[in-house]
Amino acid sequence: MARVKLTNVKKVYDNKVVAVQDFNLDIADKEFVVFVGPSGCGKSTTLRMVAGLEEISEGTIEIDDVVVNDLQPKDRDISMVFQNYALYPHLTVFENIAFPLRLRKLPQQEVFEKVTEAAEILGITEYLNRKPRALSGGQRQRVAIGRAMVRHPKVFLMDEPLSNLDAKLRNQMRAEIILLRKRIDTTFIYVTHDQTEAMTLGDRIVIMKDGFIMQVGTPDEVFDHPDNLFVAEFIGAPKMNTFKTNLVIEDGEYYVTPFGAKILVDGEKGEQLKKLNVEPQEIILGVRPEHIILAKENEGIKCTVMVNEMMGSELHLHTTTDDDTHLIVRVPTIGLTHKQRNDLQAGHDFYITFQGKVMHLFDVETENNLLK
Amino acid sequence: MSEYKVERINLFEDLSDFDYLRLNKFQALLYKFIKVIRVVPKWFLNLFVLVGKYIKKFFTYIKDEFVDIYTTFVYGDWKTKMSFFIMGFGSIARGKVLRGILFLVFQVVFIVYLCFGGIHWLSKFKTLGDTKASTVYDPNLDTYVRVDGDDSFKIMLYSLLTIIFIIAFIWTWRTNVKQNKIMEDILKSGKKLKSTKEDIQSLLDEQFHKTLLAIPLTGIMTFTVFPIIFMILVAFTNYDAAHDGYSNLFTWVGLTNFNALFSMNIGSDNLSFAFGEILSWTLIWAFFATFTNYFLGMFVAIMINKKGIKLKKLWRGILVLTSAVPQFVSLLYISKMFANNGLANGLLMEWGFIKNISGIIKFWGVKEIARTMVIIVNVWIGIPYTMLICTGILMNIPKDLYESSQIDGATAFQQFVKITMPYMLFVTGPYLLTSFIGNINNFNVIYLLTGGGPSNPALLTSGGSAGDTDLLITWLFNLTTGAESKYYLAAVIGIMIFVVVSSISVVVYNVMPSTKNEEDFS
Amino acid sequence: MAEKQKRHMSQKLKNKLSNGLIYTVLIVVSVIWLFPFFCLVCESFRCESTHQVGYIIPKVWGFDNYINLFTKTDFLIWYKNTFIIAVFVSVIQTIMVLTMSYTLSRLRFKGRKSLMNIMLILGMFPGFITMIVLYKILSGMGLTGANSVPGLILVYTASSAMGYYVSKGFFDTISRSLDEAARIDGATRFQVLTKVIMPLSKPIVIYTILTAFMAPWGDFMFAKYIAHNTSRGMNVAVGLQNMISTPSSLTANYTMFCAGGVLVAVPITILFMSLQKYYVEGVTGGAVKG
Repeated sequence: MARVKLTNVKKVYDNKVVAVQDFNLDIADKEFVVFVGPSGCGKSTTLRMVAGLEEISEGTIEIDDVVVNDLQPKDRDISMVFQNYALYPHLTVFENIAFPLRLRKLPQQEVFEKVTEAAEILGITEYLNRKPRALSGGQRQRVAIGRAMVRHPKVFLMDEPLSNLDAKLRNQMRAEIILLRKRIDTTFIYVTHDQTEAMTLGDRIVIMKDGFIMQVGTPDEVFDHPDNLFVAEFIGAPKMNTFKTNLVIEDGEYYVTPFGAKILVDGEKGEQLKKLNVEPQEIILGVRPEHIILAKENEGIKCTVMVNEMMGSELHLHTTTDDDTHLIVRVPTIGLTHKQRNDLQAGHDFYITFQGKVMHLFDVETENNLLK
Repeated sequence: MSEYKVERINLFEDLSDFDYLRLNKFQALLYKFIKVIRVVPKWFLNLFVLVGKYIKKFFTYIKDEFVDIYTTFVYGDWKTKMSFFIMGFGSIARGKVLRGILFLVFQVVFIVYLCFGGIHWLSKFKTLGDTKASTVYDPNLDTYVRVDGDDSFKIMLYSLLTIIFIIAFIWTWRTNVKQNKIMEDILKSGKKLKSTKEDIQSLLDEQFHKTLLAIPLTGIMTFTVFPIIFMILVAFTNYDAAHDGYSNLFTWVGLTNFNALFSMNIGSDNLSFAFGEILSWTLIWAFFATFTNYFLGMFVAIMINKKGIKLKKLWRGILVLTSAVPQFVSLLYISKMFANNGLANGLLMEWGFIKNISGIIKFWGVKEIARTMVIIVNVWIGIPYTMLICTGILMNIPKDLYESSQIDGATAFQQFVKITMPYMLFVTGPYLLTSFIGNINNFNVIYLLTGGGPSNPALLTSGGSAGDTDLLITWLFNLTTGAESKYYLAAVIGIMIFVVVSSISVVVYNVMPSTKNEEDFS
Repeated sequence: MAEKQKRHMSQKLKNKLSNGLIYTVLIVVSVIWLFPFFCLVCESFRCESTHQVGYIIPKVWGFDNYINLFTKTDFLIWYKNTFIIAVFVSVIQTIMVLTMSYTLSRLRFKGRKSLMNIMLILGMFPGFITMIVLYKILSGMGLTGANSVPGLILVYTASSAMGYYVSKGFFDTISRSLDEAARIDGATRFQVLTKVIMPLSKPIVIYTILTAFMAPWGDFMFAKYIAHNTSRGMNVAVGLQNMISTPSSLTANYTMFCAGGVLVAVPITILFMSLQKYYVEGVTGGAVKG
């Protein structure tokens, strides 16, 4: 139904603070796009500009090829779910959901049908006659979603809708949003600071920092091929290990030399390095905790376990190398013998190595991916 | 002991956080005090810098305006150019007839007004009139009739209105020019102008603030801003009952009135003495009235709120009840109750504390007693309100603060000093300031209780005609309503009250923590 | 163990003692605060004399003072004047104050900060100095003296929007995302005000009406100046004060004044006590933040 296009969008506040810099994005019809980034990165501001709640300082926003810069929110045919739900406390759940329909002066019968339909989808039919304050957080969020979906908007905006829920409820609602999205099937823009939400929900993810877009891509792309150090560290939990080391060539093959070891960059990455003919240089190496593998005693890199976090299906080991670099290692518990587990307790030493084909190489100066 | 040897710390310098933490309590207090004193000149410097900045901003604004007007004229099309002379022309020519006609009507009204009145009044503004009214013998009627001369009051009033009208005209003209530019730009970019209907609709949405503010701001302009400007002008004239402008002209006297207030000559008309006396009493009164109320009100609130005290609603209700009675009833009644032949003296006599008539206490007749009495009665009047405010805040103090301090071993008194007081002071800082200013201008309590008395010969002869408990505001009232109607002096005192109130506000605002970081206590 | 028990006991005793002390103080405070009103009511029913006396309980009870008040003075006119003023002021002032505070709290527009600063500065001038010129203008329009009711309504309400602080404090506590949600749902700003903010603002609306209604009953300064010694144009405060302003009139009218005081105080107090909840909410909620 709706394509949203942002061209050179910029937001400068009155006090000269620049919140969003030169934002370009073309969101296809029925796409689910997630803006993600740390707080203050401009993701909410961008969303609010699409909504019409913030003025656009420069650039244009188009919905279905119509420039909406000067349109009031009510004339943009969008709806929005807020972090704190923003339910009208003086109205019942029914009237809350009916509010946008009432403003459009729909006949009572139609209002009734649409509201009850939405309530049924969201499973809140039995609460229709209650006031919002008598509902739990999850139920309130459902009402807010109901109010947003009841008039079938062109674009569905969500501003950190799950942040106020507890962890368990958040997982449940996340799954429900995925289901909901299949039912309403319209364009979604979703803002969150939580990379897990971004990865699980988005068709495409927009990662932002300090008002700039750091990378736009599918969850696979941003996870496997982060454009820069920031994206690499932001996506994935536990965080990617990054440290300085050297890239060297020997016999036409590229090697990295972390902590005295020498690891071959093989696979696709090695081929690309050769193709781009990258100079040997100092680099920042990124290795995800799950891509670190245990090595035999006295082979590979020696680490000392500082903290051992038992997560159930896996262990998170906070370790330090001999030169005091902090490394996190993720070890699946399945297949570990009792003795092996014991050897990974705090205070013990063990040896690791990296998988060459899934290492990430970044420029020291620009912090960009060498293979970009 | 000697391990903790501390080198001398200079309290007159800015200390690092680390050094500050090494100070003992007394030193810390002293340091804070010195710091406040030290920064006072800085505020004034900042103030000047700020004023300078605003002046600079103003002139750049004016410059930008002229540049914009110029470019609009040079690069505008003929419709725009015509609008420079016939307001609203561009609007009408581009199809926005209603708006254009409004502009045009305004221009016509303005020109007509200026020709048939405005210029006449303005020409007399410099002198405030030169022809006195006189009486002339009319042979036809065989009587003396009055021949109207100039009326200084009217001249001032209408001149001021004319000046405001001129400013409004310039502003409207500028808006008219701006609109032309905007319309031209919109049309150039190929878009359509908004229809009149859309314009009107926007008054309920994008432009809603204009709709909402129109009436309140008109009220404030006519009933506050305009009279205040007028009164500031009056302060530079000799307008009083003898020079009422109508039968006897008044005129500009420059700074004479201000000089009289500050000159130190000891004469029969020693205004500076009266002003000094009344100002100092006003400040003393405001200080005591504010803080007695504050602390006693808090004390009562704490007592009522204490865990285990029953009938909280009743105690609170009794106090609130008394504040519901209109002040003039209770104040006038109490004033009479403590009169020389009032109930208080009567009861004292009946109970044998006073032997005979000559022994009565003149509650309102002696300076010191009267002053003490108004402060005490003010406590009686004010405590219910303070109690309510304090109750609200006391209930908001997080309970865990008390619980954790109890675990740390604090006694009830320590809790009060270390938790309740700082919290209250922090939250009620702005309220204390407002209440202090309210007390400076507390007309009712003084006027209805003592009427300003007891009269003080020294103040009477000084030309101020004020009594011992008169505040600046009651003095101002008496000067305005009294037989002599010294409006000029009233205006000067009004300005002085403004100066006092604004300087106190500036100082307090800079010292008070709650105006800076509102989140400190949450 | 015994030591501990003893300390426990003494703690309990201490608590009891301090509570007892507090009750005593509260009772004394209540008596002091109610005493003048008790005397006022008693004296208003005193028939044996009209001047001030040295005792509280009347020797002869009766309604003489009340009857005299209505038959021999303009009290009814003053009362009517004040009531009309209070009704108009409460309506107009409430509208003014609420629009101003809503605008400053919810809408963002150029010059908003400057407007607030200007009003703050204007508020530092004593309001009465505007009266000198306003009186001349009003008397030119014939709105002083006997006609002072409309004049006073104008004086009270015209600039009343400057007292927006308390209600702005209240509006500021309503989450701004409610406005935003409503605007996205399709409301104009006008509809946001009428359909969302107003229904949520009942306490502050009642508070504003109540304080606006009560103020004219107690005003003295403006009312006295505008009425200018014309009995027909006075409000109750000026009228009653005028009744006892000289020693001779005090002797003649004192008990009548008490009766007048009671007649003013009783309805106002009942009104106030019945809406007390909202008043307390306003005072504790908005006033401090103001």
